[in-house]
Amino acid sequence: MTPVHFSFTAAFTLGLMGLAFHRTHLLSALICLEGMMLSLFIALSLWTLQLESTAFSTAPMLLLAFSACEASAGLALLVATARTHGTDRLQNLNLLQC
Amino acid sequence: MTYLVSLFLLGLIFGLVAVASNPAPYFAALGLVIAAGAGCGVLVGHGGSFLSLVLFLIYLGGMLVVFAYSAALAAEPFPETWGDRSVLVYVLFYILGVMVVVGWFWGGWHEACWVAIDELKELVVLRGDVSGVALMYSSGGGLLMLCAWVLLLTLFVVLELTRGLNRGTVRAI
Amino acid sequence: MSPYVFTLLIFNLGLGTTMTFASSHWLLAWMGLEINTLAIIPLMTRQHHPRAVEATTKYFLTQATAAALILFASTSNAWLTGEWAINQMSHPLATSTIMLALALKLGLAPVHFWMPEVIQGLDLTTGLVLSTWQKLAPFALLLQVSSTVNPLILTLIGLLSTLIGGWGGLNQTQLRKILAYSSIAHLGWMVLIIQFSPPLATLSLLIYIIMTTSAFLTFKLTSSTTMNALATSWTKSPMMTSLATLILLSLAGLPPLTGFMPKWLILQELVKQDLPMLAFFAAMTALLSLYFYLRLCYTVALTSSPNTITMLTPWRLNPTQTSPLNPLTTMLTLALLPLTPAILALVIY
Repeated sequence: MTPVHFSFTAAFTLGLMGLAFHRTHLLSALICLEGMMLSLFIALSLWTLQLESTAFSTAPMLLLAFSACEASAGLALLVATARTHGTDRLQNLNLLQC
Repeated sequence: MTYLVSLFLLGLIFGLVAVASNPAPYFAALGLVIAAGAGCGVLVGHGGSFLSLVLFLIYLGGMLVVFAYSAALAAEPFPETWGDRSVLVYVLFYILGVMVVVGWFWGGWHEACWVAIDELKELVVLRGDVSGVALMYSSGGGLLMLCAWVLLLTLFVVLELTRGLNRGTVRAI
Repeated sequence: MSPYVFTLLIFNLGLGTTMTFASSHWLLAWMGLEINTLAIIPLMTRQHHPRAVEATTKYFLTQATAAALILFASTSNAWLTGEWAINQMSHPLATSTIMLALALKLGLAPVHFWMPEVIQGLDLTTGLVLSTWQKLAPFALLLQVSSTVNPLILTLIGLLSTLIGGWGGLNQTQLRKILAYSSIAHLGWMVLIIQFSPPLATLSLLIYIIMTTSAFLTFKLTSSTTMNALATSWTKSPMMTSLATLILLSLAGLPPLTGFMPKWLILQELVKQDLPMLAFFAAMTALLSLYFYLRLCYTVALTSSPNTITMLTPWRLNPTQTSPLNPLTTMLTLALLPLTPAILALVIY
């Protein structure tokens, strides 16, 4: 495991831990998802650059487009939950509990 | 250059620590901007200047939207910064965790691992990633069409999710 | 929702799953999963009810996390081994992470908590789509990576899923939550067998889809979402109510019905692989599921609930929530067992 590999792995894991363990706002969860996507972009780009397989360097661009789609869907859901629940706190998403 | 790239890698990790430690969204977005900037630096250090530019322009441009959202939603009078006790505990916990894992791997990182790949090459004008991305317009055309299609789909998704004045139970006005 | 938009979304739902089926590269598989998630989101919030929006938010967060985790694990695999093909995964860390991410996508046991809540928030038709069609794409990926995943992890996830699926459903009175737990249990059986016989796992998935479709559509016909509503459903459609008992028993896996076939074959295969204890524990956890199915049957068929005179009138009205699929799947749910030798000859051997 090289330092570069370690860095993006650590970045992704940190984003995942942040998403999994403590979120008060839905927006924070979305930002954590964005952080995971950022580390994935860097991982794919660095894989392309280090292995000199330049044909693969479209992959980070495609990833960026898809993560933009995901982020915008998440923000639209933020608007929808703010409309129905009145707040973006994840504590208030408790209508479906057992 | 190696020193600089290592610094940027460190910035990437610390940016994500700043995001993951659960501050107010306002500051979490700031942490993500820092991480994205550091990521751009890492990519430049490895010779991917075009991908770095794309990341800087598009990702940070998109981030700006999220940032605007968080600024609009920062309704709390005193948003939690990284200095607050609840957040600071997590910041220190995560930094400690990263340091423990670094210590675990430290022995395996030889000197050569740290050298960014760009230092081993001569000065070139045409970068590999530029020609690689240009492939998207020739042999990767199908994927480009797919991406455009998905962006169009997202437009409909967002419109359907947020459409309608009479939707929802809580109305501000 | 405009019919054009509805058609577009349904088309994209199919496109995403088909892309995941057809891809051999992890990036394309990930794209298919993302398209799939994006397309189902507006379909889930079609009612714009607070519960639907909440369920959609939870679904989106889990699916997006799982998709990101899948791509991260495959990227790590590419960094370590230089291989992007789906069925060529070799690094144990990457395969374990992918297995966990697919479990999150499918709603398998250690990471199943979103599943009952999300199904509970949706109407029965969308819940049906979620528990059948949405399982296909991750299951196709699971089939391809299953030979490289650590067998212990697969066995643990499978056994835990059957256990949790039975245990969690015990205390529920909401039909959709019970069906969600039943989905967890059935998928656990498939994961148990997937390392020994992938065609058998596919057959189990197919039969589970048939059975759960008839269950969802029957509940939709009588518009029942709780056990209380089920108790008076005989006033709406006496024939379907009596068949609902048999459908539930088929889901439980009792012998003369179709649901017995996958359980039978899976137990036989496990014993054949010299794992009698595993087969024993799997069969024991199926008893937990059997308990809540039997309780539903008891409510449907064996009790005559106290009711007022107005509750008995719905038989005068024709049911509006019919589906042309319902008779077909109900018949398959009840009477496919005699075809077992033919299916075995066609699929497994």
